[in-house]
Amino acid sequence: MSDQPYVSKVDRRTAIAWIGVVGAATVAGAGVVVYGPKSGGISTAGYGTDPKLVKPEKAPWSRIMIPAQLQTAAILADFILPASGPAPSASQLGIPDFINEWVSAPYPDQVKDRPVVMNGLNALGAQVLKADAAGRSAALKALQTSKDPIAHAFWKKFRRLVIGAYYTTPEGFKDVGYIGNVPRPADPGPSPEVKAAVEAQLKTLNL
Amino acid sequence: MATDTYDAIIVGSGAGGGMSAYHLTKSGMKVLMVEAGRDYDPRVETPMFNTNAEAPLRGASTPDKPFGFYDATVDGGWEVPNEPYTVAVGSEPFIWWRPRMLGGRTNHWGRIALRFGPLDFKPHSRDGLGYDWPITYDDVAPWYDKTERLIGVSGAAPARGLLNTPDSPPGCLMESAPPRAFEMFYERGFKAMGIPVIPMHGAVVTGQMEGRNTCLFATPCGRGCAIGANFQSTTVLIPPAMATGNLTIRTNALVYQVDLDKAGKATGVSFVDRKTGQHHSVTAKSVILAAGSGETARILLNSKSSKFPDGLCNTHGMVGRYLMDTVGLNVTGQFPALEGLPPTNDDGQGTEHTYVPWWGYEKQKELGFPRGYHIEIGGGRRMPSMGMGALLHDDDMSVGDDLRGKLRQRFGSTISFNGRGEMIPNDDCYCELDPTAKDKWGIPVLRFHWKWGESETRQAAHMVKTFVEVIDKLGGTPQGKIETDGKKAISKGGEMIHEIGTARMGHNDKDSVVNQYGQTWAVPNLFIMDGATMVSSPDKNPTLSIIALAWRSADNMATIAKQGAL
Repeated sequence: MSDQPYVSKVDRRTAIAWIGVVGAATVAGAGVVVYGPKSGGISTAGYGTDPKLVKPEKAPWSRIMIPAQLQTAAILADFILPASGPAPSASQLGIPDFINEWVSAPYPDQVKDRPVVMNGLNALGAQVLKADAAGRSAALKALQTSKDPIAHAFWKKFRRLVIGAYYTTPEGFKDVGYIGNVPRPADPGPSPEVKAAVEAQLKTLNL
Repeated sequence: MATDTYDAIIVGSGAGGGMSAYHLTKSGMKVLMVEAGRDYDPRVETPMFNTNAEAPLRGASTPDKPFGFYDATVDGGWEVPNEPYTVAVGSEPFIWWRPRMLGGRTNHWGRIALRFGPLDFKPHSRDGLGYDWPITYDDVAPWYDKTERLIGVSGAAPARGLLNTPDSPPGCLMESAPPRAFEMFYERGFKAMGIPVIPMHGAVVTGQMEGRNTCLFATPCGRGCAIGANFQSTTVLIPPAMATGNLTIRTNALVYQVDLDKAGKATGVSFVDRKTGQHHSVTAKSVILAAGSGETARILLNSKSSKFPDGLCNTHGMVGRYLMDTVGLNVTGQFPALEGLPPTNDDGQGTEHTYVPWWGYEKQKELGFPRGYHIEIGGGRRMPSMGMGALLHDDDMSVGDDLRGKLRQRFGSTISFNGRGEMIPNDDCYCELDPTAKDKWGIPVLRFHWKWGESETRQAAHMVKTFVEVIDKLGGTPQGKIETDGKKAISKGGEMIHEIGTARMGHNDKDSVVNQYGQTWAVPNLFIMDGATMVSSPDKNPTLSIIALAWRSADNMATIAKQGAL
């Protein structure tokens, strides 16, 4: 679990370009910031129908998460996927920045996810950011098992995003055992070891 | 661009346009190819080994890129900016996939290259439903042979003699890569059900082929191929056509009208430049429409004159009629037997290595639906995407090493069964000009009408039943809600991106728009060389047949030209 302040993995130039968009959220009073699907001021431009594919440019939309939300995202992402042996933690792979990219995006799926994630991070942040280690751990475990529909929806959505973001990286490939995306002169098919394993399973199925 | 020296203008640059350009330019004809989209070069624009982590939103689907960030499609998808279409009130849903790029849909297509069979050309003779083509399988077979040898198709296997599932003659196909673990696995389940599994025919160069690179067995074909190891018009057809010195290409040119002289002969086409909004006309001795079934019909319907007040070649109301697509649906299963296999490289050759051809030709009466489907089956340990979390049970809440272990265990343990079935043309499926809606440039747009028939919805229900049965036989569990009602489970019209048949071929101008060579009955120097000319929509994916028929038609047209009869 991340005890250190989360340091964004985006470069400085990009970060500067996003400064100032936090005002897109609505201040609802008593310091509560509510993120809705129609937050005014959030940039609505997507990457368009003809983006560069070989060297993709960074997603062009402004980012909406503030440092406290990024820190909360880091804590929760590392609760879901902490470092393990050679596998880095989610925050070491910059997953909180990806969450920021996702919830800031102008597309319908992401706009739908935005209030679920942002309001969830705000609620969790109030419990974990100033808590000691025991309090933080208790809050995270409570979220993991929560029956409250809003908290549960946040947990499920956030966890899916972390899993997707983590395992689409080379580090994630290594962790899950994806060994493709390399040129080969031929496809030899499965190894004798794999074939034997499949045959053994088929035998148990009487096939 | 000298506009008065062309023997032919080809509208469109995909499977039909590319093939006709290839043959006509090699026959010595001067050709102007007019493409609505931008220029596109797969050699430098294909993201071959990019990971999803390099893409915005990890490559997830968005309205800008509906098939994911890396899909080859440019400026298109289900919606094209500034170019709307409409669906009639009361119609079932219909969606229309269009790219705006040189090479059209051949840049992103699935590369499944199955021949239509003898029964597919004579469906009405078989069961009294639909319509017969004016040609037979034997008429097209030599062109299938030539096409497979030209574009590079895998799937060679000893002849099986399966009904209506043609074996290619020796020398036409290359061998597919061996079945992967999941393909070995599902084959046994189908075998227990008496259902055959055979090598897929894929437009991928899997062996040595003169002038072509061999597949790298690594990257998804839907991104395109920078080394030209699969079939794209932009790598296989257009470059050799350009090399003849006889081909000129005009991109960003949206053709809306075939121009006629007073005698009723085609003199060329008019188009709007999508970038400048300027209107232009170009001339030639003949015109070929290969813009895709929808756009080809739209151009004809928008080409109104005193002789053709309802649109060109539409005197008998045939243009836009007999619109068809493929029946499609998917059921995915998760299989404990595939869990925990040793890591293996399942990237494969882009297409599936094996598939299930339709096995029920002689059981249609007892099955309760008249036409069949084949099954395309995906699986294996493929590059992870944002959908990775779907590997877990819905109620799984694990974290840490427990979560990592479960994902490792279940990675590669799902198999997706995709039915692709024949649709019988019906009177409720057609397109026409919308009476009011226009595109950005004021050109009337298409309005679609759609209604699946009972033949299709019953077939769809059978797909679901079959897939659930094979999943069960293999000890698996279907994922998500299983919809057994064919009317609800069936794909939307157009969703399989196989829309064909709006200007079909036939015996005369009363029953069709063109003859067997794509020559329009109404205008002898106007030809159609895309899927619009198809009379039936067999389960087999149409692209290989579009290419073979375009080649056959272009060859006939070149003969006419040499005789001075254009």
